[in-house]
Amino acid sequence: MNDVIETRGLVKRFGTVTALDGLDLVVAAGQIHGFLGPNGAGKSTTIRILLGLARGDAGTATVFGAHPWTDAVALHRRIAYVPGDVSLWPNLTGGEAIDLVSRLRGGTADKPGYAARKARLMEAFELDPAKKGRTYSKGNRQKVALVAAFATEAQLYILDEPTSGLDPLMGAVFEQEIGRVAAAGATVLLSSHILSEVEQLCGKVSIIRAGQCVETGTLDSLRHLTRTEVSFAADGLGPAQLAAIPAAHDVSVSGGRVRFTADSDQLNAVLPVLATLNVAGLTINPPSLEELFLRHYGDGAAPGGAS
Amino acid sequence: MNTVGILLRQRLRRDRWQLAAWVLGVGLLALFAAAAIAQTFGNDADRAQILALAIATPAILMLRGLPEGSPVGAFTYFSVFAFLALLATLIHGAIANILMALAVTVGFIIGKLDAGGSLCAGVAVGAVGLSFLGVGLVAAQFMRTSRGANGTAAALVVAAYIVRGIGDAASTAGSDPLHRVAGWPSWLSPIGWGQQTGAFVRNNYAPLAINVSFAAACAAAVFALQARRDTGASMLPVRAGRADARASLRTSLALGWRLQWPSIAGWSAAGAATGLLAGSLANILQAAGGGNTSLLNAVRSIVPGTTQTPTQLIIAAMFSVVGVLAAACATQAVIRLRQEEVRGTAEAVLAAPVHRVRWFADYLVLGLVAVVLVLLAAGVASAASGLAAGAGGTVVGDSFAAAAAQLPAALVYLAVVSLLFVLVPEATVAAGWGLLVLGMILGIYGGMVGLPQWARNISPFQHTPVPFGVNTQWAGGIWMLVIAAVVVAAATLLMGRRPLHSG
Ligand SMILES: Nc1ncnc2c1ncn2[C@@H]1O[C@H](COP(=O)(O)OP(=O)(O)O)[C@@H](O)[C@H]1O
Ligand SMILES: [Mg+2]
Repeated sequence: MNDVIETRGLVKRFGTVTALDGLDLVVAAGQIHGFLGPNGAGKSTTIRILLGLARGDAGTATVFGAHPWTDAVALHRRIAYVPGDVSLWPNLTGGEAIDLVSRLRGGTADKPGYAARKARLMEAFELDPAKKGRTYSKGNRQKVALVAAFATEAQLYILDEPTSGLDPLMGAVFEQEIGRVAAAGATVLLSSHILSEVEQLCGKVSIIRAGQCVETGTLDSLRHLTRTEVSFAADGLGPAQLAAIPAAHDVSVSGGRVRFTADSDQLNAVLPVLATLNVAGLTINPPSLEELFLRHYGDGAAPGGAS
Repeated sequence: MNTVGILLRQRLRRDRWQLAAWVLGVGLLALFAAAAIAQTFGNDADRAQILALAIATPAILMLRGLPEGSPVGAFTYFSVFAFLALLATLIHGAIANILMALAVTVGFIIGKLDAGGSLCAGVAVGAVGLSFLGVGLVAAQFMRTSRGANGTAAALVVAAYIVRGIGDAASTAGSDPLHRVAGWPSWLSPIGWGQQTGAFVRNNYAPLAINVSFAAACAAAVFALQARRDTGASMLPVRAGRADARASLRTSLALGWRLQWPSIAGWSAAGAATGLLAGSLANILQAAGGGNTSLLNAVRSIVPGTTQTPTQLIIAAMFSVVGVLAAACATQAVIRLRQEEVRGTAEAVLAAPVHRVRWFADYLVLGLVAVVLVLLAAGVASAASGLAAGAGGTVVGDSFAAAAAQLPAALVYLAVVSLLFVLVPEATVAAGWGLLVLGMILGIYGGMVGLPQWARNISPFQHTPVPFGVNTQWAGGIWMLVIAAVVVAAATLLMGRRPLHSG
């Protein structure tokens, strides 16, 4: 079987809340798969079921063709996991937590190899391993979990909003690590509620909303769904000049600035025209997931907000 | 000023139930103590005899404080003041301490003690609490984390208790044989100052001025320190820890031990202290000829069976306290499971190749080990102190037999709380501690307050065998072991089907 993760009609309820409402998700081997959805869409719930930490109420889920609940221990030998909200033991240092998790995962058999990997990651993520768990900031807790995940080789990396507490510099280090494990043939499931975050990394994306998968495909095939917002200073530009901009939708002028949106796959045609107009104060905002939902599904983010 | 008011209101709102429970609990404790003493030690001669015994036993003076004669008010104050003062150090806030003072006063008055003395006793308890409020605030200035601050403050409370204990143990004879004068170390301790009021006898409020000035000095120090300190950064830097884990930290069992050993050590120390007291008390009572029938009767109401020597009776009674400590330790071991789950750290272990049943079983094993350690510590301490106090060699066997007899009830708690964890995770913490308190009230104090036998039989502690005399009832212990085994088996089986409940 070539699919590493497969869920069919997965349902999960918490009392009256339906967190997953017939979710279909397929991740093929070797993919870096973006798992996109607004807060409360059911990403973390799906991931917990895939890890055998929770059970679905209906539907099926398989990981490497096995059952995530009954075969949890065997599967976990092949999986690295970074939770959405990393908790650490208050009295263990970050270094101790990393060592413990790595040993539980059997990643320390080759001692010098492990020590070298740990040291390299520690330096790359600029993490101080000698601090107690309770003294770390959210971002540093995230780094501890990332180092623990990448210090032991895995066949599947399940990462739940792994960059939410990281500064952009560390985001680059993270992308490098993802590139490294993908090049080695691992599969990655990367959840996020920010479209642009998965854009650079993920070959394929599944978008979920209110516990259902609403789109899945390569990013290029989804490009038509998104519009980029462009704005610049109006300084003496007349309506005729503005009308000459190709592929511009919803053009408006207010507060001294011109605004319009363009289909993301048409942006290359727009930019040269803006250059000839010699516009000042140009800003280009990548589309947000919320806008995408607003435009294509007639509503904003699904209710909720808890992650 | 307005913001202070708002903060205060918020804090009171947040803590109102906890505070109400504390205040009510302390008030009831004062009431029960007064009532129980009036009932159990109704006549002056009985009380005088016990005081004579206590005065001859520095260990008791060290734990309780100093007697000031045998009238029932003075006797009650001697019996419970140190304990109430310790409770007062646990609550935070000036208003809380005022409420606590009121609760003690009202409790004593309802318990038919003299009103003037009751007020003095209540104010003394509140004043001690106020002093430690100051200590806690100063500690917070020096420590970076609230855990560190709480730990330091708790250590200082213990230090104050012990310093006062040493002073009281070294006390000298007073105006009459039942009256003692504290040694100078007692004057170094806020608890000692509270004691010096001589409530019900002298009602002298002057020493409490020291408590209040001490608290005021602490508050002034806090304001001075605060002015020099950046928010978040404290005077002492946090120590750096290990960058790499010890080689032994490689399984979930090892993790459990790493997380729990400090509290296991604490419970074991409490067990050892109780054992120490059991051994030394037993021999003193024996030496006194076992003549104090009302004391022996009071002890007998805790311990079933009739054929023991006074030594065995005291050991059995003191070891019922050890049994509670062991059960509490077991309960806490299981509660750790729940804490790990709620905190989210259990997820890190269970997302690694560790089976959920294995993880669960590891904590039960740790609970068993902890219980055995508590019992061993108590047994060794009791045997050693008994021998040192000159009891015969039989005290060794008696001590270990009494310790072993506590095992079944503790294991019942381990099992039942673990089943709670599997079936009703949200209730683990509250129900676990609740069952322990219920078992203690029904099984141990039930006899004192005359509860019907069926109610007392609900408590596991009621079925703890007393391993002395000719016809020891082992059946209760064996049944409890069987019940514990069955419940643990069921819990383990069900754990295989239980997902994580982090909420
Ligand atoms: N343990 C829980 N109890 C009750 N509701 C929950 C629980 N976990 C998640 N939910 C609800 O399920 C929905 C999906 O949550 P989640 O999977 O965390 O979303 P996401 O990770 O996409 O932000 C939300 O409405 C959330 O409130
Ligand atoms: Mg989430």
